[in-house]
Amino acid sequence: MTLEGPGDLDDRERAAVEAELRCLGDDEFVTAERYTEWQVRGPTLESDIAVANIAQDELGHARLWYDLLEGFGHDQVDLIWERDPAEFRHATLVERPYEAGDWADPVLRGYLYDTYERLRVEALSESAYAPIADRVEKALGEEEYHREHAHNWLERLCEDAEGRRRVQAALDRLFPHALTLFAPTDREEAVVDTGVRPVPLSELRREWRNVVTPFLGSLGLEVPVADHAELLPAARGRDGDHTDAWESLYNEFTFTYEQLGRESAPALMPEPGEADADV
Amino acid sequence: MDLETVKEQSGPREFGPADEMPREYREAATRMIQFHANSEIMGAYIERPFIRQAPSLDRKLAVSAQVQDEVGHGQLLYRAAEELGIKTREEMLDELASGEGKFLNCFHYPLDDWYELPMIMFFVDGAAMRRQATLKRTSWEPYAHAIDKICFEEGFHIKHGEDILRTIATGSRRDRQRLQEAFEKWWPRILQFFGPTDDDSTHGGFATDVGLKTMSNDDLRNAFLNAYVPKAEKYGLELPEYPRVEYHADDDYYEVYEEDLDWEEFFTVAKNEHPTGAGQIDKRRRTQKAVEWVRDAIESPDTTGVSPAAADD
Repeated sequence: MTLEGPGDLDDRERAAVEAELRCLGDDEFVTAERYTEWQVRGPTLESDIAVANIAQDELGHARLWYDLLEGFGHDQVDLIWERDPAEFRHATLVERPYEAGDWADPVLRGYLYDTYERLRVEALSESAYAPIADRVEKALGEEEYHREHAHNWLERLCEDAEGRRRVQAALDRLFPHALTLFAPTDREEAVVDTGVRPVPLSELRREWRNVVTPFLGSLGLEVPVADHAELLPAARGRDGDHTDAWESLYNEFTFTYEQLGRESAPALMPEPGEADADV
Repeated sequence: MDLETVKEQSGPREFGPADEMPREYREAATRMIQFHANSEIMGAYIERPFIRQAPSLDRKLAVSAQVQDEVGHGQLLYRAAEELGIKTREEMLDELASGEGKFLNCFHYPLDDWYELPMIMFFVDGAAMRRQATLKRTSWEPYAHAIDKICFEEGFHIKHGEDILRTIATGSRRDRQRLQEAFEKWWPRILQFFGPTDDDSTHGGFATDVGLKTMSNDDLRNAFLNAYVPKAEKYGLELPEYPRVEYHADDDYYEVYEEDLDWEEFFTVAKNEHPTGAGQIDKRRRTQKAVEWVRDAIESPDTTGVSPAAADD
């Protein structure tokens, strides 16, 4: 059965659609937010430009999913600018801060994330909720370029001893957080049985590990083999529980919104010049 | 080609890589284009924090794209400069990071908050546009070619800057006050954008003689004021009492009282010695140093111990 729009949904279906869209939109939004830190800080002018392209694509995708949430009466203000930070549903992978100059991190993180995104979005091409299925193609179109970018960089970095050491360090640090991409929300069961996303996250995780483990292994990297339950970090993101990096990021990106909207600038805000932890 | 011939033949887009240009010409052109390229990169440094601090998705996308464009302009300009055979792009980027490279005075001052953003995105970019538009007729063809693309994209930036300005200017009374404060802080720097009067300009004469520069600083400043003083007024901004700027209707000319401007600070900035500018350069140096390992890794990979055993796919 196809669900054509918000009007066709019962409460359980609607909650499932909203939960799925929030995960998708929030992942993209926060991913982009972090990527932009590399603008004018990459290893070459060309990489500054490439990273800006990717960040803008991801912001465009965030809008693609947030637009569908607007169909349920939300607007950008309550979806982003005035939303409680604990109500964001992105995975912890995308909120983690970067170390200055650690180019291995965005490259590897981008690879892990884009591989996940492709699998999840492909699964949504069969979504029972037509507006989601309709947007799959647009979301997938640009991902090919992102994966190519990440592949090329990973290959180049891993040909060098220091480069590979850094990618390995990023992998050890990020892999547990990447597994939170597949952490369920409290609506996972409804998402699957209503056909909003016919493939369960556990299945997507299995496919993802089958892709990333051999590829990274072929670059001479050691990929964690333990079961996800053993590797997962304490904060899972999808349940609203985030790592400490999230609050400061949230305060930074809402800084101007707050400043423009209130009678006086809120106290205890970071100085704008330092707000993004300038190296 | 000797210098006399260059001066005689100079005209819009007259010379290119196929011409054998005298060293003086190539050095002067390099100095000018390198300065421009450096300014694009350092302008991007000033604006980048506002990608994160943008108050809506549209603004965030636009500021990100703008910062990206500026890096792209830097890339184009370094290429145009490289073709003069004086310095490579790497050398110019190294000079920028080491504090030897020079760039526009306004990019030596980081912005405090969103209220200051239109000072760069509208007024400074508007001033830059005035200058750049005249460079479509510069005699070094690769420079003019880069300028075509730059002007096209800058047009969008200024529109976006004006939109930010309009939003703040039509906001609350407090917003308008903050905007006026930002304007008063930036206005003297903006007036100094075009440098001192022609008499004090060090390189203007030669650059004009060989067609690299096509309009004097005074004329550019005046053209800018003609266009932007009314725009400032349109958005409710009041020109501060000092520095005095007087309009002479008879000659349609804005007189800027240069003695009201702090030229000592201007020349300290120009030497990269003003503390805020030195801080911006230091940021560039540190961010570049932090990613040096990546350039080393791709330029001369150390393959010891790297044997992708399972690379059979």
